[in-house]
Amino acid sequence: MQAGFLSYYDGIFNTAQDRQALIANNIANANTPGFKAMDIPFQATLAAHLTGATPPGPQYRASATVGLDGNDVALDNERIEGTQNAEQLMAAATFLHQSTADLITALRPNPSGS
Amino acid sequence: MAADIFAIAGSALDAQDSRMAAIASNLANADSIAAPGQTPYKAREVIFQPMMDSPFESQIDAQTADAGVQVAGTITSGAPSVQKYDPGNPLADSKGYVTGSNVSQVNEMVDLIDSSNSYAASVAVLQSASRVDQQILSSFQVV
Repeated sequence: MQAGFLSYYDGIFNTAQDRQALIANNIANANTPGFKAMDIPFQATLAAHLTGATPPGPQYRASATVGLDGNDVALDNERIEGTQNAEQLMAAATFLHQSTADLITALRPNPSGS
Repeated sequence: MAADIFAIAGSALDAQDSRMAAIASNLANADSIAAPGQTPYKAREVIFQPMMDSPFESQIDAQTADAGVQVAGTITSGAPSVQKYDPGNPLADSKGYVTGSNVSQVNEMVDLIDSSNSYAASVAVLQSASRVDQQILSSFQVV
């Protein structure tokens, strides 16, 4: 039994929580003049967490239409991304729950006591 | 825990709240008039600015990042005040014109809807964050 899968969940949680904070920041600045929406690339960041490299960091989304006030936050997009990210986090938490439960079961002494 | 998501969403709620207060003040004063020689009510607008100036320079790091939004200040609208011909009014000037505010009620209503949309989005962020936290907490509960 290898416990290395725990570092995988560590990577997922860290990456998804950073994304969650960035998306919250985007939504908070939906009416800020000149603000540009940011996000981090999930796969590259997760890979960096798993290999111990430096994560790539936040990057501008640069996909949406820029409004007259220089703001390019699309509220609907951010909410979609936010919901997806939250589901991902909860899925990871659910899998982690099952994995640790299995680990605990394996660690328990023989219940029949023989 | 990464940069406190509750603080970020909270700052957004605060900012939108002060924006809605300014809109309410504008709408309340939309029909106010001024005596000749006095300055009539000018519409106010709240300007936001990000708390984090250049996120590119420092990696969003859990403890140090200071994300969110704050109110940078309030500007008064430079739109011309409404002049209405109403010689019977006690506040009318010598030519019979009354000076009103420069509030555009249509603009204010559009602003209000925009603001309340942003507010609702931030509330949704709060709800999903607390749902995720609950789920993570329960995932560490091993029977």
